[in-house]
Amino acid sequence: MDWRDIWILYRHELRSALRERAIVVNSILMPLFLYPVMLWVMLTALVFVTGLSERTSSRLVILDVPAAHTVLMDTLQARTNLEIREDVVSADSAATLIRVGELDALMEFLPPEADARGMDDNFQVLIRYDRAVERSRRARDRVEGIVAGYRRRWIEREASALGISDADQQQFRIIQDNVSSGQQMGALLMGVMIPLFLVLMVALGCLVPAIDSTAGERERSTWETLMTVSASRLSVVTAKYFYVATLGILAGVLNVAAMFVSLGAIVGPLLADVGAGADAFQFSLPLLALPVMIVAAIALALFFAAAMMILAAFARTFKDGQAMVTPVYWLAMLPIVLGQQTDQTLTPAIAAIPVANAARMIRDAINGVFIWPLIAETLAVLLVMVAACLLLARAVLQFEDLMIGSFDGSFWRFAKERLMGKRAREGTR
Amino acid sequence: MTESASIRVQALQKSFWDESRGEVQAVDGIDFDCHEGEVFGLLGANGAGKTTTLRMLATILKPTGGRASLNGYDVLTEPESVRRSLGFYSATTALYPRLTGRETLEFFARINRYPGDQVAQRVETLIERFGIAEYADARVEKLSSGMKQKISIARTIVHDPPVLIFDEPTVGLDVMAALEMQHVIRELRDEGKCIIFSTHIMSEAEKLCDRIAIIHQGRILALGTLEEHRQATGQHYLEDIFLHEVMAVEGSA
Amino acid sequence: MSRKRSGDRRVLATLFQYEIKRLLRDTRMILIAVVAPLVLFPFIIFVMRSVERSEQRRLVETVYEYVVVGDEAEWGREIVAGALQLEANDPDTSRARVRFEEQQVSDPEAALSSAQIHLVVEALSPESYETIRAAEAAADTTGGGEDEADGTAGEEEDPPELPTLRLRYRGQSDFSRNASTRLGSRIVELRSQLRDSVYASRGFLVAPGLIASVETENTASAEKEGGALLGLALTPFLLLLMLTGGSIMAVDAISGEKERGTLETLLTTAAARSDIVTAKLLGIVVVGIAVAVVNILNLLVYLVLGVVELPENFAVALSALDLVLLLILFLPLTLLISSALLLLSGYAKTYKEYQIYFFPVFLAFLVPSLAGMLPGMDLRSAIALVPIAGIGVAVREIMVGEYDWLFLLLAFSSTGGAAWWAARLTERTLSTERLISQSDLDEADLVGGPALFPRHVLRWFGVMWVVLLIVSLWFGEDLGVRGQVLVNLVFIFFGGSLLMIRHYGLEARAAFALRPVHPLVWLAVVIGAPAGYIVGIGLAELVNTYVFPVPQSVLEAFGDTLLGDQMPLWQLLLFLAIMPGILEELAFRGVLLHGLRKVFGPVGICLMVGAIFGIFHVSLFRLLPTAYLGVVFAAVVLLTGSIFPVMLWHFANNAIGLVPAHMGWVTEETVVPWWAYALGLLGLLVALALIWSVRTPYPDLKKKRPETFE
Repeated sequence: MDWRDIWILYRHELRSALRERAIVVNSILMPLFLYPVMLWVMLTALVFVTGLSERTSSRLVILDVPAAHTVLMDTLQARTNLEIREDVVSADSAATLIRVGELDALMEFLPPEADARGMDDNFQVLIRYDRAVERSRRARDRVEGIVAGYRRRWIEREASALGISDADQQQFRIIQDNVSSGQQMGALLMGVMIPLFLVLMVALGCLVPAIDSTAGERERSTWETLMTVSASRLSVVTAKYFYVATLGILAGVLNVAAMFVSLGAIVGPLLADVGAGADAFQFSLPLLALPVMIVAAIALALFFAAAMMILAAFARTFKDGQAMVTPVYWLAMLPIVLGQQTDQTLTPAIAAIPVANAARMIRDAINGVFIWPLIAETLAVLLVMVAACLLLARAVLQFEDLMIGSFDGSFWRFAKERLMGKRAREGTR
Repeated sequence: MTESASIRVQALQKSFWDESRGEVQAVDGIDFDCHEGEVFGLLGANGAGKTTTLRMLATILKPTGGRASLNGYDVLTEPESVRRSLGFYSATTALYPRLTGRETLEFFARINRYPGDQVAQRVETLIERFGIAEYADARVEKLSSGMKQKISIARTIVHDPPVLIFDEPTVGLDVMAALEMQHVIRELRDEGKCIIFSTHIMSEAEKLCDRIAIIHQGRILALGTLEEHRQATGQHYLEDIFLHEVMAVEGSA
Repeated sequence: MSRKRSGDRRVLATLFQYEIKRLLRDTRMILIAVVAPLVLFPFIIFVMRSVERSEQRRLVETVYEYVVVGDEAEWGREIVAGALQLEANDPDTSRARVRFEEQQVSDPEAALSSAQIHLVVEALSPESYETIRAAEAAADTTGGGEDEADGTAGEEEDPPELPTLRLRYRGQSDFSRNASTRLGSRIVELRSQLRDSVYASRGFLVAPGLIASVETENTASAEKEGGALLGLALTPFLLLLMLTGGSIMAVDAISGEKERGTLETLLTTAAARSDIVTAKLLGIVVVGIAVAVVNILNLLVYLVLGVVELPENFAVALSALDLVLLLILFLPLTLLISSALLLLSGYAKTYKEYQIYFFPVFLAFLVPSLAGMLPGMDLRSAIALVPIAGIGVAVREIMVGEYDWLFLLLAFSSTGGAAWWAARLTERTLSTERLISQSDLDEADLVGGPALFPRHVLRWFGVMWVVLLIVSLWFGEDLGVRGQVLVNLVFIFFGGSLLMIRHYGLEARAAFALRPVHPLVWLAVVIGAPAGYIVGIGLAELVNTYVFPVPQSVLEAFGDTLLGDQMPLWQLLLFLAIMPGILEELAFRGVLLHGLRKVFGPVGICLMVGAIFGIFHVSLFRLLPTAYLGVVFAAVVLLTGSIFPVMLWHFANNAIGLVPAHMGWVTEETVVPWWAYALGLLGLLVALALIWSVRTPYPDLKKKRPETFE
């Protein structure tokens, strides 16, 4: 293998790819722009929806307010986000209005249940609402909140009248305390999203170049030109292989980096809004995670590039190539699901399954867990797959009509005819 | 006695915007006529403006100046009528790979408004004429390039247009196929069609064309029959005539 | 040229017929695009669900290990025991019991962190709790934070001295979290039982839980709830199917034909351009719908076979009216999708390019359609005006039986308008200039030159926008107002402008429009600035009330950043009035306007520059008010050919906003009387009229082409 030849050819492939606007846009520019823009869209949508919810007042009908609790009625009427309709006087008409969306909720004061009658002036509230409609649900929440507050104050009054101390009333306090740091929680979130993403994006990044550098070249008739240069055919193919893997790695890394930046920028403010505290999720990666991720990306890229290129090599046009490679792409994604099980780090079993092992390894690295022997096993398995693909490629390349590009058929037919040792038919053109 | 001109071109112009060069004047004021039963040749180097001119006549491109009419219809205001009177053949116009030869001919007959009830008959006639009955029902993608060429010519004339344009039709053809092409063009001329034929192969132009226009950098340098060219330049072979005309312009530039 | 002749219809029919015929013969494509997904997806879904189910089982079947520590450990054990009793005696047998087991470890903290145990139960007396909290605060080791287990936020008043039970769990672990949640909820249950018994034993005649109790009753039928659920996902789902299905046809429609050379053949036939485009559009619509239908039928088959499960009590009932409405709503969406795909096909030169550009187009359609999924999204709002998103929300509302006819019409119109416009654009896909364009696609070599600038200016500003967004979101807090202004205005805007000038060799004076003006223009600015400001306030009010309601928190945050930092007035003016007045103008009304001067007509320029200016102010509620300013400024620059007046105007506008607020002359409560708005509008018009009267138009604008050829 002449590495100098390979280097020249590799540079040529890379340069012509980077000159092609479509590839530059798709692999490089898009991740850098796409995530911030989607981010902005999401944030804007959230702000919009929050504003909408705040502004919308809930349309309410209140029936049978007991005389003893006019204070509650006053509280309800004082709320600016409640609009109380006085014109509806029967529960049935209110229920009908709710059903057609003209009213959000009906609040009916009822006499208390049998075992609740002991308390003077006790009452029961029945809130009728439409669970399928967001506005109605919100109205219910608002009313429930107000009644709950009223109930609390009532109980406090009664309790102090009876001389029950606060301590006796509350008994004890119970708190849930998350001991994981903000960083760890951030790592948890990232560990769910990033491995999936990285694998998907590396595969996607390899897809188009893999097809283009084999089937695409055939279609453009430049394949033949390459076959006649002084470098060996093996060098040509190897250079293409590295080129495809390079683009896959590039796509994977850029997309993940862009996503990482966006995650940090949006999740923080988002969760702060929800009240989880600004430090609940902090996004930073352990230093060692980066090289692990990059190595994983490289291994994955090498694997996907090999698999895809072999299949695409049988196609005469880009379109056919895509048709051949895409199902494999989907099937290859399946093992990721296995890698997503919670609370599991790399195990020897998982480390033996390609793609799943890479996903798990990356997730562990993000969480700061490095089980070196299993990492080694993962890489070994991936590299074995790569070697297998390359061997297969070499076997395939022995056949001249395939190299020249005159073989017309699919991989399966090829496998059946040639690799199984059957007599080769003249299916060439 | 003047025959009615099937094609009339007056001061035709076309300019493009090119990324690196800015505004480019591809066709810069061209005048000519073409008549029925005549093969009119456009001769010029690559990039001289032949293809652009022909595409304007075929209404694929819109002129940025001047006028052109084909079979009495103006290319700008009545493009569909122009195209209905036209059969356009170019080396870059391909066939639909997944249709059969017969289906291809039927398709083009119909969308060129050939009377619906006569389409089948017309297709049969053409299949016979070009001798492609054997593989008329095989998918085009399975045919050899010679067979494809025959089908291409057939589909060009399937709707019996009075005007035909052949843009470098023999590019990439072997000797036999090129001769076949020339034979067909002669036949069509004898049937009374008005034919424009562009090429950069001198021998072809010498053999086929009744009149020749030498086109260079978007302008017609000289126009006339072969004899008229010979007298004007004092050269005998078309190649030398061509060089003479081009040098005259280049030298003075 | 009558288009109604039967010959045209026959041509159209022929074109369409052959498009479909050719597609159906591409067996490999159909196999991969249609059949393979139908076979693979159940398999994929099945695997995913198996994994999910095994996960659930694991969560339930684990024995959760916990430790009890603290100075009140004995009491803590009692509580836990009581809670576990409740768990064991739960009459609801549908939920599996969760099992807990107490362990003994020497170092509970370490055991928890290393996942040896799932939960640490700390039973603390009030004093020891205080001590521990103080120690933690000092060491600043509080992690995910504490939450009251019953969901109530910590009250502000001094809580009584109570014993505390603290459940410490590892948030990273699903198991640990589950342990804490389950045990916590049981302990809360236990506590309310204890509380009730206290109340009862001390004289409460009724259990507290029964005082002012609240019952809720759902009036929605199962069908309505089912409809609500379905309505969430219906639009995105159908959109997805149509996009991928339609692409099967679209990819060949133009880019494929271009690549193979058959497009030129087609264009030389007698078929009208519009017929060709219509036939292809129709083809995309038909194939898209066909694929969608196939997939939906497939989904129904999955449901029947049990591969995919529906939630319990799921039912959907759609009246005939509903179906008709849904169909009508999907019509413009279908047309928009098909037009977009055809445009994409026209833009892409090859099949490969189509594939590459498809993804962003796909996202551009999918993301807005998710609007219907956002809780709180109401059709009675500006969302109805957003194409695609409006339909998504409208569909959801129809599925729950809400018919707000006005807004349904609005949603239909906005998407319909976009569809019509896109369909009109599709004719341009057959623009044959690109067919024979000699230059290849290599744009990485920017040959450069000022002539190239108009084509690239929008991209540059796109990059600047992204950088600004990232900086403000990522570093916004740390930078503060001054830092942000510095970064945005100096580095991004001004730096970007200089870069563009250098890169394209533009003449700075022309690019920045540094020209002198008639003296009267200054008078106009003096009148126009305050008038325009008042109008701007009115506009903001209108927008805030009717179009984009602003959450209170955002308004407050904005007000804080403007005035909170306690900056002295001169700094406020420098950073928020002078610098924007100069640097923003140079960038937007300078370089951007200069770049767009040949691309749009004068009205178009004002609108584009205004819109871009608005978008650069990122926040939704600032978008329209700033865009309005941008439009006015652009108009002034076009009329005077100079940037200096708008610099002054911009400065004055911002200063008018800052100074009175800073001085306390106006507060948030100040209301502007209606006649002030009228005066403002009048003043603005006067100012513009004044400028018009002495106008020196911006040189070198787009000229109308002599004859309309396109």
